[in-house]
Amino acid sequence: MATSFNVNTRTEDGYAVIETDGYLNGPTGERLAETAKDLMNQGYSTLVINLEKTRLVNSIGISILIEIIEFLQEHGGALHFCHLTPVIERTFKMMGLAQHAEIHPDEASATTNL
Amino acid sequence: MQSVSAEETIQRLIFSLSEIEQLGETIISGRGNFNVSSRTYLRIIHGTLQVNRCAILLFQPTENCLTVEAAISVEDESLSIPVTDDDIAAILESSTIDPSSPPPTLDNFFNQIQPQLELLGANLWAPLKIRDEFLGVISLGSFRMQDDLEDWNRELLPVLANQVSVAIAYSRLLDKTRAEQFRLFMLSDTATQICKSLDTEAVQEEVVTHAITLLDASAGGLLMVDPVTQRLEMKSIFTLEPQADTELENLSIPLQTDQDAPSVLAPLAEIAAPEGETLIANSGGNGVLLGRRNLMAVPMRGREDTLGVLIVADKEGRGGATLDFTDEDRVLLEAFANQAGVAIENAQLYQEALEGRQLQAEMEEAAKIQQNLIPDTLPEISGYEATGLYFPRGGVGGDYYDCLPDANDTWGLAIADVSGKGMQAALLMATLRAGLHSEVTRKEDLPSMAEALNSLLYASSTDGKFATFFYAQLHPEMDQITSVNAGHNYPLVIRSEGGCDELEKGGVMLGMFPNDVLAQISEYEQETTQLSSGDVVLFYTDGVTETVNPDGELYGEERLEEVATRVKDDSADQICQAIYDDVIAFQGEAQQFDDLTMMVLKKT
Repeated sequence: MATSFNVNTRTEDGYAVIETDGYLNGPTGERLAETAKDLMNQGYSTLVINLEKTRLVNSIGISILIEIIEFLQEHGGALHFCHLTPVIERTFKMMGLAQHAEIHPDEASATTNL
Repeated sequence: MQSVSAEETIQRLIFSLSEIEQLGETIISGRGNFNVSSRTYLRIIHGTLQVNRCAILLFQPTENCLTVEAAISVEDESLSIPVTDDDIAAILESSTIDPSSPPPTLDNFFNQIQPQLELLGANLWAPLKIRDEFLGVISLGSFRMQDDLEDWNRELLPVLANQVSVAIAYSRLLDKTRAEQFRLFMLSDTATQICKSLDTEAVQEEVVTHAITLLDASAGGLLMVDPVTQRLEMKSIFTLEPQADTELENLSIPLQTDQDAPSVLAPLAEIAAPEGETLIANSGGNGVLLGRRNLMAVPMRGREDTLGVLIVADKEGRGGATLDFTDEDRVLLEAFANQAGVAIENAQLYQEALEGRQLQAEMEEAAKIQQNLIPDTLPEISGYEATGLYFPRGGVGGDYYDCLPDANDTWGLAIADVSGKGMQAALLMATLRAGLHSEVTRKEDLPSMAEALNSLLYASSTDGKFATFFYAQLHPEMDQITSVNAGHNYPLVIRSEGGCDELEKGGVMLGMFPNDVLAQISEYEQETTQLSSGDVVLFYTDGVTETVNPDGELYGEERLEEVATRVKDDSADQICQAIYDDVIAFQGEAQQFDDLTMMVLKKT
C-alpha cells in the first residue's frame, strides 16, 4: 500500500474546512500547518479539520496539530475535528488535544453553531 | 545618539524586569510549543532592548547549522548558517559576542558568514544553551536609543537568553514526553485492537501501519515465513512512494542463505532464524537495505516458530530530518512484534478452524450425495448372486458401484473411483453415474460407451480430475461377461476349479484426455470372459488393496486374492463380509484415508 498526502480547503461564511487525505506525519503535518496559517492570515480563525481520509497519525503529526491549536488560541480562534477513526479519536483524547479542540462525528455537526 | 537619563534608565529597568516575569509566565503557561511562543519571546526582547532587528536562530544538529525560528524586521528568514563543533565550543564560552570584533577563535567563522550577518543586521549575539548543550543564538540588530548596550542591558541580555533557553528545553522536553506518551498509548491500544481482528490479511496490514506510526517511520513491511517454500514473502507494505510498491510487494527472500553468493538481503533472512536478532541499519553505518535511509527489522515470533520479520524504515524527526533508530526503538518494536505475532497466529488458527469446519460441512454434504447414488441393494439376477459394500473411512472419495439392466437384455455391473475427495469428487461421480445410466440405454459396444463417458467427464472436470472405471456386461443366458476397464484396479475372477483371472482389457482412465487425443494414444478395447458355476467375480476400488496396517504395510492384491479364494465357496454376501473383516483386521489402529468399496458377483 502506498499513500500520498493531499490537503483540500474550502471556505465558508465565518470558518474554513481543511480536508486531509493520507498519513499525517512530519512532512505532511507541516503542509497542514502551513495551510492552517494561510487560512488564519486570510481571516479564518475558526477551522474545521476533516480527517475522514486519514487513517494514520504519528507523534509528530500530533505535535503539529497541537501547534496549530496553540496558534489558533493565540489569535482567538478555535479548531474543530471531525470524521476521526476510533483509534485517532482515542489518541486525540489521550494526548490532550480534545481538551483544546472539539471533536465531532461529522462536518455537519462540527459546523452547526459555529 | 542622545544619552539616556538616570530616570529613564530606571523606568526601562523596571519595564525589563516585568517583561522577564512575563517571559517566565509564558514558559509555564502550558503552551509548550516553542514554534508558537518564540515570537512572543522575541517581541519581549525587541521591546526591552530597543533594537531595530532581532532573531532567534536554533541549532539543527542533524544538519549542523543555525536556522531562523522567529525574526523581527529580518529580510530573509530562510537563511542558514553552518556551524562546526569548534565554532559551537567558542560561542559557548561567551555570554555575548560582537560579530564585528569577535574573539580570535571565532574570527574565521564570522568572516565566512558575513552575507548572513548582513541579512540579520547582526550587531550582537547571545548564545542559547542549557548547561553545555548548544541550542542556538539570539541575534540583535542596532540599538535604537544608544550606540551600544549599557552595562545593565548587557547583563540583562544573558538573563533573557537564559529564559529563552529554558523555554526551548521545556518545549523539547514536552515534545519528548508527548512522543513517549503517544508510543505507550499506541503500544497498548493498537495491540489490543489488532488482537480483536481474526482476518489474517487485515491483521497483517494493521500490524505494518501501526508499527509505522509507533516508530514515527515513513515506510514498513511485513515478511512472513512460508513453511512450504522456505522463503520470506512480503505480505503487507506501506510506503509514501507509489513507485516503490511493485518493487517491494513481490519481495521474496530464501531463508537458507547461499554462502558462496550471499544476497544483499540475506541479513533479513537471518533475522527469521531461531537465534535471529533485531537488525538496526542507520544511514551512518553500512548496509541500509531496500534503498532506505535507515531501517530496523525485528523477528516476529509465534508460539513455536518465527512467523516473520517486521520492518520499519526512514524514521522521521521534526523539520524533515531523518533520525537514527535507537535501542529504545528496538525495545519498543520488539514488544509490539511479540503482541502482533500472537494476533497473527490467532487469526491464522481461527482461519484454519473455519476452513476445517467448512471442509467438514462440505464432506458431510458430499457423503450424503454419494450415499444416495450408491444402491442400497443390488437387483436379483437369475443364476447369480450379487452384493455390494461401501464403507466410508475418514474421507469422502468418489467411489461408486452399480448394477443395472441395459438395452441388450443384459445386466451392467459398474465400479468407479473418481480422483480426489469432497464435494468435487462426489459431483463428478454423480455426473459419471448419470452418464452411465444414459449410455446403457443405447445398444452400443462397450468401447463406444467408454469413449462417450470419457468425453462427458473430460468436459465436466474443470480441474484435471479423472475417474477409473470398470464396466461388465453380464449375459446370464450365456454365462459370459463382456467388459471394458478404463484404468481401474483389475477385477478378479476367482475360478471355482481353482485359479484366478484378472479383467484388465480396456484403456486409459476417463476424463484425462479428449477423445481425439485419446484416439492417438490408445482406443478402448473390450474382452469377454466365460463364467462357470461357482466362479466369483470380485470388483473393488484401491481403498481395499491400499489399506495400510500400523507397520505401514499395504493390504495388496495377493492378500485379497488369497482371502477371496479361501471363501469362494461361500455366498456372495459371506464372501463380501469375509473380505471386509480381513481388511479391517489388517488395518488395526492405523488411520485410513480412502473408502472401502467392493462388489461381488457369483455364478451359482
